[in-house]
Amino acid sequence: MARNVQRLERRIDAGAIVFALAVAAVAIMVMLPLTWLLYSSLQNPTNATLGFANYATAFTKSIYLTPIANSLILATSVAAIAAAIGTPLAWLVARTDIPGRGLLRGLVIAAFVTPPFLGAQAWMLLAAPHSGWLNRAFVAMTGSTQGPFNIYSLAGAIFVMAAYNIPYTFTFVSGALALMPSDLEDAAAILGSGALRRTMTIVLPLALPAIIAGFIMSFLEAISEFGAPAFLLIPARTQVITTQLYLFFQYPTRIELAAAYAMPMLLVTAGLLYAQRRLIGRRRYTMIGTKGGRRHLIPLRGLRWPLFACAFAVPFIGVIMPYAALLATSLSRAWGRGPVPGNLTFYWYRWALFDNPETQRAVMHSFVYAFAAATIAVALAITIGFAVQRGLVPGAQIFAFICMAPYVIPGIILAIGFYAAFSRPPLLLYGTAWMLIVAFATRFLPIAYSNFTTSLQTLSGDLELAARSLGAGRIRSIVTITFPLLRNGILSAWLLAFIPALRELSCAIFLFTPQTAVISTVIFDFSDAGNFEALSTLGILILVATFAIVLLMYRFLGRSLIEAEAQPA
Amino acid sequence: MSRPTRSSFLALAAGAAAGLSARAPAEAAKPNEMSDADVSKLYAAAKKEGTVVWWTAHYAQSAADRVRDAFKAKYPGIEVQFIRQTAQVIFQRLNQDLKSNVHELDVFASTDESHYVVLKKQNVLSAFVPADINKVPLSLRHLDPDEMYQIGALGFVLINFNTKVQPPHRWPQLGDPKWKDQLTLGHPAFSGYVGNWVVAMNDKYGWEYFKSIAANNPKIGRSVNDTVTDIVGGERMVGAGPDNYSLERKAGGNPIDIVYPDDGAVLITAPVAVLKAAPHPNAGRLFMNFMYSREYSQVLVKSYNYPLRTDVPSANGVKLDKIHWTRNKVERLETGIPEVVAKWRETFNV
Repeated sequence: MARNVQRLERRIDAGAIVFALAVAAVAIMVMLPLTWLLYSSLQNPTNATLGFANYATAFTKSIYLTPIANSLILATSVAAIAAAIGTPLAWLVARTDIPGRGLLRGLVIAAFVTPPFLGAQAWMLLAAPHSGWLNRAFVAMTGSTQGPFNIYSLAGAIFVMAAYNIPYTFTFVSGALALMPSDLEDAAAILGSGALRRTMTIVLPLALPAIIAGFIMSFLEAISEFGAPAFLLIPARTQVITTQLYLFFQYPTRIELAAAYAMPMLLVTAGLLYAQRRLIGRRRYTMIGTKGGRRHLIPLRGLRWPLFACAFAVPFIGVIMPYAALLATSLSRAWGRGPVPGNLTFYWYRWALFDNPETQRAVMHSFVYAFAAATIAVALAITIGFAVQRGLVPGAQIFAFICMAPYVIPGIILAIGFYAAFSRPPLLLYGTAWMLIVAFATRFLPIAYSNFTTSLQTLSGDLELAARSLGAGRIRSIVTITFPLLRNGILSAWLLAFIPALRELSCAIFLFTPQTAVISTVIFDFSDAGNFEALSTLGILILVATFAIVLLMYRFLGRSLIEAEAQPA
Repeated sequence: MSRPTRSSFLALAAGAAAGLSARAPAEAAKPNEMSDADVSKLYAAAKKEGTVVWWTAHYAQSAADRVRDAFKAKYPGIEVQFIRQTAQVIFQRLNQDLKSNVHELDVFASTDESHYVVLKKQNVLSAFVPADINKVPLSLRHLDPDEMYQIGALGFVLINFNTKVQPPHRWPQLGDPKWKDQLTLGHPAFSGYVGNWVVAMNDKYGWEYFKSIAANNPKIGRSVNDTVTDIVGGERMVGAGPDNYSLERKAGGNPIDIVYPDDGAVLITAPVAVLKAAPHPNAGRLFMNFMYSREYSQVLVKSYNYPLRTDVPSANGVKLDKIHWTRNKVERLETGIPEVVAKWRETFNV
């Protein structure tokens, strides 16, 4: 029996079949929606002829051009602020003896895993012009008629989104600084250069590629973010590209116009990510040869605690205050009543988890879909990544490229392509769980792929070859030798796809139907009628689940989360 | 055109009756009204299906929760899966489903009557005459001459306000500069209530009315219920809001109240229908049939919605014929809502 299987394996190499299936799956998941996106954008909705009519409509009317200008202002400002704050924060944590370095790092990660739409929700409670707690406190203390903050404004949205984008620059720059030895600075110090001058002329220029990479990453995150602008900018009567795309989906759905409108964003994203990759590459090049040099921490002396206070303000705004607001609201019977006796209750938790079948199902869907999506993404990443890395197939780079392609597609645009491709026969996924599972798997395939291949690179193929030469088939050699050795790499690739899939909104909002609702779409639905207690409760549940997973990763895998998510190799 | 203000319901009733008889030929294909035996049979068949899926824009989540609980108490063994969303959102989701030939919905409950005209044209609704339809006010029976949809809930768009301020009593007063930065509105591209209100105001006062409101920099949410949240939280003082959810929050001790404007509240006759391709057709009909039961009207009153049945008194004791109201004709909504949504985007930039 075993001999037969072996003979069969040798004849038609089972591995080749698995690989072919994976390639077919990835082609359907990545190439088909992109093709449909392009095709739809050229399609005249009334007579199905092809042309540029949609582009003409999308890019000549001022009502559609204003959102583009707003998006550019939003994304540029968010990226500039995030880079301007993330850089000194990274320097303080990586190069100085500032107290609480571990705490600051931990809180930056907390900001990173917080979905910006939850941050926006929390800041609505804190800084709505009249009812926000900060404004009310200000009015109570100063006796003035109105508080100073208005979160429902472009400035408000920039503020909130910047808070959740700081982790990108922070991580890239601390990565660069950690590799930068102190030799150059020491030499400058010996020659009489002061600390400020050393920082400006040596440290900053060396970190510049990392800063720019952080800027680009934040720009792309901000321009493709849907949730936070929907919460903060619709009441502010300011449209951005993503909220305008959402409007195109309203009845009567103008999918063709949406596809055309999305195209420039796709090109900008691809172009900027290409630039970012080149910059990161250069950064690594800069450091070659200086690795292993001595690094010491710059003593801050009397400034230690004042600077700690400044640094701590960042997570205070992005994490501590918003979490407190969400938690307090979720524990209130009615948030408007404030912290009075009888208002403290677990009612909403019981409601969300036990009494309300809709939220119950949404919580379950979120976990099941994220689980399935992460598993599919990792399975594809393993199959294709292995074949590519081990040089088993010709044209390997093309397959790697397709697996990485979704990385440059903003979620909202992927959703438009998915809707166009899979809401009609023969591949009718719309209305089924698979619509969301496949979309999430596609969206997070690059994360799974890059993390798996990175860990695979550390493993030589010799052991497999030894097994092969002793007569084991390819699949057997992989399953019995490679996988056990790569267990941690595979697990972390899976978790890194699972975490964002658990709280994905910008794809889900276009692809779910009420029977396949997930937590994030339910939160979005509840937000329209001011059901703040219910949606704060669901938000806290997402955060608790996310932190449990992040802690597990740290405990068992010791991975740097942001590096891995933000910087596919 | 919104219909002229009436002080009595009877006049409208007569008009509706006349309209009905004029379209008599369509009645040939009409199904018969449910008998008690029919309802028992329906329940037995519905139990086999086990579930009913209901998308509603009729009232707030809390009211819909109560309706679900009351239905399950009366008809054990049938699970109610529902979402509450604004009218235009559930309509859009239904249309996306229909386009892709996905059938997940049984009972569609929007607040924009013109949705049903569109759905009728697509031939996706199924005719149904519930058992106790004759218990609703005469003028609201047989909303559709072909019985493809029926009245499912009643409500008003009126002026809601924070009790800290003296409220306006007429719609044009919302344009008073005194309310600068103090107004809150829903969005006609989301909410059926708001769409109805905007059409009525446009037809009564012209689009200039909304320019005067825009000058007051209103906060614009999505659902009409957003106005209630803003007022309760003190974010804004005055809104064009719903009667039901405002009264519910008022009863909860919040600083909010309502005014029926002197120049007419806007009456919303929110329809309900069962889809032809419903995955649970019997459960869907049973659920729709439940909407004319005494239990349903009582549950509506508990959450401060207007009762459908004439034999169940309203929560605040106000009778329909004592309220000054206007109502849009369905033909007007059909063209009016897309029209005002486009104008709204220009004027309010959202």
